Amino acid sequence: MLRGCGMVWSRVRSLWRNWFRRGGVDADLDAEVLAFVEMSAEEDAARGVTPEEARRRALAEVGGAERLKQQVREGRAGAGIESVMQDLRFGGRQVVKSPGFGLTVMATLALSIGITTAVFSVLYAMVIRPLPYQDVSRIAAMDTRSASGGPQAASYPEYVDWRKMQHSFTALAGYSPQGAVGMKSDAGAVVLNEVEGTDNFFTVFEVNPVLGRTFAAGEDEDGRNNVVVLSYEVWQQDFGGKADVVGRRVQMDGSAYTVIGVMRAGFRFPINVMNSIYVPLHLTPTQRDNRGNHWLQTVARLKPGMTARQAEADMDTIFAALGKTDMFDAGRTVHAVDLTMYVVGDTAGSLRLLLYAVLAVLVIGCVNVAGLLLARGVKREREMALRSAIGARRGRIVRQLLTEALLFAVCGAGAGVVLAYGLLRLIRMLLIASLSRGAEVQVNLPVLAAALGISVGVTVLAAMMPALRLSGTSPTMALKAGGSAGTTRGQHRLRTGFVVTQVALALALLVVSGLLLHMLEKLRTTELGFNPGQMLTAEINLPRGRYAGRDVLADFYTPLVEKVQAMPGVRAAGLIQMLPVQGWGWNSEHIHIYGTAPLKNPRTDPAEVRFVTPGYYKVFQNALVEGRLGDAAIDRPTTRLAAVVNEAFVKKFIPAGRDPVGMEIGDNDQMETLASQDNPRVLIVGVVKNIRQSIYQPPFPEMDYNIAQIPPAVSLNAIGSMHLVVRTSVAPESLVPQLQKVLHDVDATVPLREPETMMQVVADVLTFQRLENWLFGAFAGLAVLLAVVGLYGLISHEVELSTRDIGIKLALGASRGRILEGIYRRVGWMLGVGVVLGLLVTVAAEKFIGAVVAVGLAKDGLLIVALAVGLMGVGLLAAAVPARRASGVEPMEALREE
Amino acid sequence: MTGELHGLGVSRRVEQMTRGTFQVKPGSLFPALHRMEENGWLTSFWGESENHRKAKFYRLTKAGERQLGKETAEWQKIALAMGHALKTAKGV
Repeated sequence: MLRGCGMVWSRVRSLWRNWFRRGGVDADLDAEVLAFVEMSAEEDAARGVTPEEARRRALAEVGGAERLKQQVREGRAGAGIESVMQDLRFGGRQVVKSPGFGLTVMATLALSIGITTAVFSVLYAMVIRPLPYQDVSRIAAMDTRSASGGPQAASYPEYVDWRKMQHSFTALAGYSPQGAVGMKSDAGAVVLNEVEGTDNFFTVFEVNPVLGRTFAAGEDEDGRNNVVVLSYEVWQQDFGGKADVVGRRVQMDGSAYTVIGVMRAGFRFPINVMNSIYVPLHLTPTQRDNRGNHWLQTVARLKPGMTARQAEADMDTIFAALGKTDMFDAGRTVHAVDLTMYVVGDTAGSLRLLLYAVLAVLVIGCVNVAGLLLARGVKREREMALRSAIGARRGRIVRQLLTEALLFAVCGAGAGVVLAYGLLRLIRMLLIASLSRGAEVQVNLPVLAAALGISVGVTVLAAMMPALRLSGTSPTMALKAGGSAGTTRGQHRLRTGFVVTQVALALALLVVSGLLLHMLEKLRTTELGFNPGQMLTAEINLPRGRYAGRDVLADFYTPLVEKVQAMPGVRAAGLIQMLPVQGWGWNSEHIHIYGTAPLKNPRTDPAEVRFVTPGYYKVFQNALVEGRLGDAAIDRPTTRLAAVVNEAFVKKFIPAGRDPVGMEIGDNDQMETLASQDNPRVLIVGVVKNIRQSIYQPPFPEMDYNIAQIPPAVSLNAIGSMHLVVRTSVAPESLVPQLQKVLHDVDATVPLREPETMMQVVADVLTFQRLENWLFGAFAGLAVLLAVVGLYGLISHEVELSTRDIGIKLALGASRGRILEGIYRRVGWMLGVGVVLGLLVTVAAEKFIGAVVAVGLAKDGLLIVALAVGLMGVGLLAAAVPARRASGVEPMEALREE
Repeated sequence: MTGELHGLGVSRRVEQMTRGTFQVKPGSLFPALHRMEENGWLTSFWGESENHRKAKFYRLTKAGERQLGKETAEWQKIALAMGHALKTAKGV
């Protein structure tokens, strides 16, 4: 053992010496070999051989002194590391010599990896990652529909019936997000988001609490329902994560609640409600008894073995049975939607498209890098051949190229990783507000690894091509003067293929981006029906506990609106329960106009319902076309219901030629809410112009009721949550502090939620569009940039290769113009094919693109053609410099160069 | 084999000892010598050859001697085994 140690020690000493005294060691070796050669020559000379001959023989025996020395060196301790260091140094010098090339390769890698990873991570967090519930595939979001097919939640009596009669679910639960609620406890006061649920709510998700328990059976009944389950983040943030929180008493809404449990980390339902707490249902009498009051969302867990289709069929029979006794239920349908799909919602299409865009960019990037490296590799083929001829082993050459490639790859990849993290921080900021799982977006490591793997793999492969090819040809061929390295047919086609691919993909991306931009512009400048400038909005939620049974109009809203109107800088103030552009879907069905022909299909399209104050029209500057607006003096809770309708309503429901004012509507849905009317017929008293409820769709028919007509008993129900809208003569934001003070004066316990200007509201609605657009724009820009760089590099390379041919042509009398023409023709051809291919790709992908933005040849044809021409122009420009250089070649120089 | 020899000397000596069977070319000689030196089995120094030329001489170290003994024993074992095997084979 000790002897082994001795050997190791000796080797270590040699390692040290070889490394740090390299010069001396080499010199020593030189001297030794020299001495050997001379002694050998002397011996021969002594035997009678001539001195020259002797020396020659000696050298021959040595086999070339250099080679011998190299062999010794290679056998040395530390030789391995030394040669790697050598390779690195060489590689580094190469990069420094042509910084443009090096930087281009590294930048291309960084961009491709960084952007790909960032966007993939977003997609993963939002779409692919499983939801934090047990066995998610068994959970179905019940997308219940009305008879006419529009989305319609359940009413409580309906839900009770369904639950009793269903056979396909282990649990059918109802829930309703209640928005912000103030909670006071020993730990302080805090505003949280409340979600109400039926007693079996948690059974659907089968997620165990980390502390305490969840709802017990029957705990959603009055008297037992003042319990609350905290979400994990609320427990950590607002209760200090202390285990004694179970059993604590808290105050919410003026009532006392007991904390009974804490949910596991990561659990949230609905998934976009942050800082949530869960309480059992607290029903108002109207909610409990009114079958036509649709407010309860439903979600269910399928029984084992049950499919969603079977569950839907089961529900259909239930609906049919109920429909016999109650006309409202007749014709109802339900889609049992896989919860994961439901969460992603409409964004699925756009996200998928983004996925393809990302892939396209990655492909372009890789193709670019490969092209650049291959081009350079071709140039160096002669260098490789030379090395091989003087004795470098193929393995060594390959290793040196590999080291160089890895140098590029590592630097580029490193930059790419940094870029990915940076981009994600940026995206997270943008997404948090608008998308349900935005906050959970993080760098996805598997994706990062994959992107790195692919890019690095491509880089290494492309860089090593010259060495691999070398083994196919004999060195002499490559070394031959005038060797036509790199002009084989195969390489030509490969290069052309690269250019064409890049151009095609770049065009496809450009088209999508252009279309999105176009659509965004259209949306932004859509005729909304009102001017969103100089408008302030805020949300008011009246706490249930405080206002139950009170006349909210007299006690709160009227004084509030009066005070707001008295504020300096305010031109008009009003209320509406649902803000235009921001929301829609609060509607009535079964609209019937008395005195007109009964509609063939009694299930008509719904009409939007709004509860407003007359001030609302002033704020939105909505002109009265006919008749009058609601008036608190005339329209009382005791008088018949009066409605102001919009022009879309008239167009849809009123036969041509009839005067809408004075006609009567049968609106059964609202009758149930405003049930104290003697006369169930609603009188149309006025017509106003259209205001868009949804920015993406043309205006819906709308009926506006004056809130003064809502009976006090049900007022909290109908208008407990309203939007205050204000038209200002000064900058809207500047009025927020004053507004808060005014609200405080009326009722200090009601917070002013989400004060925003109307412009912000519109922008928020478009956020996802904007983000999408921004992303696509970035991709398109990047793709074009990469394509241009690739084009420039490849064309330069081609031109360089044909320098000798050009020289010959010039020498034979061709004009420079002809040369230029030839080059441009070739480039133009490549670009043309690329563009055509790109258009084909766009057409083929129309299905995917169409999920995001409609592609119509008629309306968008011009834009697409313009983009194609633009791309070709850019490509020709990229070719301009190398082309000029080529045609400026001096024939003699060109011929001599080889 | 004791004493010291320079590279050429080693080559000639081996040729001589094996009666021409093994001709150690410089391509094998020098790498081998240097490796053995790195392993600590030889030491080297610069000295004068017979013709008063400067040359690098090598000498076996203690460790080298031990190694030599080990490898010799190993070789003899193999040679014996081979002999047996061939004899037996012949007999069969």
